[in-house]
Amino acid sequence: MTFHERYLVGCAALAVAALVTVSPTRAQAPTQPQDAALNAEAAQNDWPTYHGTYKSYHYSGLDQINTGNVKNLEVAWMHFPERATRGLQSTPLALDGVLYYSGSYSRIWALDGATGRTIWSYAPELDEELVAKQTHSPYNRGIAIGHGNLYVGTVDGRLIALNLKDGKPAWDTKLLDSKKMTVGFTGAPLVVKDKVIIGAQGGEWPHRGPIFGVDGKTGQKKWEFFTVAGTEEAMKTWGGDSWRTGGGGGWMPGTYDPENNAVWWGTANPAPLYDWAGADWKKSGPRPGENLYTTSVIALDPDTGKLKFYHQELPHDAWDFDSSVGEFVMIDRGGKKLVVHANKGGHIFVYDRSNAKIENVWQLVKNINFVKSIDPKTGELIGRRDLSEGKVDPPLCPAIAGGISWNSGAYSPKTGLFYRIGQEWCMELTVEKSTPVLEPMAQLNIGATFKFIPPPDGPARGHLSGRDPVTGAKKWEVQYKYPPLASVLATAGNLVFVPDSEGIVHAYNAETGEELWSRNNGMGHNAGIISYMAGGKQYIAVPAGWGSLVADEFVALYGEPFKSMSKNTGALVVFALRQ
Amino acid sequence: MRIPFVTAASLAIIWPWLSTVAFAQQPNSADSTSSQAKTEASPNDLEGRKMFSSNCGFCHQDGGRHAGRGPKLSKSERSDEFMIERIKKGKTGSMPAYGAVFNDAQITALMAYIRGLDD
Repeated sequence: MTFHERYLVGCAALAVAALVTVSPTRAQAPTQPQDAALNAEAAQNDWPTYHGTYKSYHYSGLDQINTGNVKNLEVAWMHFPERATRGLQSTPLALDGVLYYSGSYSRIWALDGATGRTIWSYAPELDEELVAKQTHSPYNRGIAIGHGNLYVGTVDGRLIALNLKDGKPAWDTKLLDSKKMTVGFTGAPLVVKDKVIIGAQGGEWPHRGPIFGVDGKTGQKKWEFFTVAGTEEAMKTWGGDSWRTGGGGGWMPGTYDPENNAVWWGTANPAPLYDWAGADWKKSGPRPGENLYTTSVIALDPDTGKLKFYHQELPHDAWDFDSSVGEFVMIDRGGKKLVVHANKGGHIFVYDRSNAKIENVWQLVKNINFVKSIDPKTGELIGRRDLSEGKVDPPLCPAIAGGISWNSGAYSPKTGLFYRIGQEWCMELTVEKSTPVLEPMAQLNIGATFKFIPPPDGPARGHLSGRDPVTGAKKWEVQYKYPPLASVLATAGNLVFVPDSEGIVHAYNAETGEELWSRNNGMGHNAGIISYMAGGKQYIAVPAGWGSLVADEFVALYGEPFKSMSKNTGALVVFALRQ
Repeated sequence: MRIPFVTAASLAIIWPWLSTVAFAQQPNSADSTSSQAKTEASPNDLEGRKMFSSNCGFCHQDGGRHAGRGPKLSKSERSDEFMIERIKKGKTGSMPAYGAVFNDAQITALMAYIRGLDD
């Protein structure tokens, strides 16, 4: 080796050493979420799972950004995804200084959390012909990490594992016959022990809405639980053969309670959405009976997929107010171990998390008339308003988009407050008898026509309130002209972040609701906001990008700015404190 | 007041003599079908409406009379040809393609329903 060659080799070695030293992503080999982090109250340096941690607080324990300095928050970097059809709807994850997020068509990006530099990306080949026939598509709402892999579902019915280090596919398992069912997976998976758990789309789609347990290392399907007639007991709650086209599903991720070895999952509504049986729903109509386990919270054994216990929030849901929406907030209070879950109809259910027995039910939104009330001791629906064929009078409240939408609220163990968006709107409705269409591929089974209208007490609107999660006692509330549709983030910096529908991200004092900072991202939000640490610095990451199915209603309801708001585009916007 | 419309059943019967193209090429065909329908109401008249309710009403509110996720369809100035094409091929990010789901007779029934809508 000549001196020149030695010089070159030496320089190359130094360059490699410098890269290894400088780049945070090379200095630390990617790990997987540890049990301690997953079971913690707060997401600390990382955001390892969809709901932050298994306790589902959507809360970051980081406090570099706080009420005193949030005014200095500014954009650190941005990332622009390809093919952001229907905007961005996913919640990013962060691990060891790397941010991972998904976009439409289940495209994945791994980015340096400090700089935004792309580490790798992945775009699965989807059945595009099928995608063109889907309504609830091609958005993706999140990912999971574990076993050295990143997991993502697809709208053509697959669960894919990618190597976390380089994005190379590890396995690709077909779980659903989406060509027949028309739907697939849009919700984030959940890693529990050796399994990856994912729920199918469903609801108004006439199938049986399965939830799957898949081996995280091999991709082998280990179990499948049908949310429609998944047990013999449940089969008896469907008249005739109606269970075959019952709907159900579990299109948003649940969480895991390690003490009871229970996976909590919210299930979707039965089909058709609007049942015309009226008060005789137990014996007549398209799906006579209580329709277990639709519109329920269910606890599954992650090892076997067997049902441990459940509570059906709305027996025989005739209004499309399913339980798929809503995080499962695990709170210990007064010696009781509780779980708090939001239902789309606008009520918050509080359960004993060892058995799903009701501890309380409280009302988040004002305009509800599908029931008079829900018994806070038993969960029984009081004064339920079952529908018959024809025009529904007075109009139904809330509207089909719900009093509570599918994105998550946040809970701060520091303030003890639960921060949740509520929506006030109603709809005119005419119930029509319908027949499930299964051939050549399943079609929506709605059973009605409808039109959004303002509620009786004022304009259609939204609000964020800070409340006691168990009693519902309200400490403060902020009103919005247009209901925000994104998730909420609480932090140890005593802040609550709300990305709104007009495109503005707000930061509020978590104790008082006082607005301390805002920033316009230029397009509405319907995704999840997180916080994480990279290179010793705290970041706030929020995907912007408008176009969810609920967002699409805003044009008819409000006109501008939504009429002119860009759709089918998006940006991941990451904020940090000014240096 | 809602204007009655031609039934899916009756359209299916006349289908062999009424191709999609021919239907699309007659700009006033909707008006004529609507006027025919006024005198031909029967229990089967609801088929087009039922199909619309289940498959289209999720996005086109109030049975197509009001914009929602999708546009208002009643009194649409779009041509039959355009609408049939849109039903069959959809629009990425906005509307699914129903060409493999509905046969031509069913699409014709849907069109008859849409063209029969008042505001």
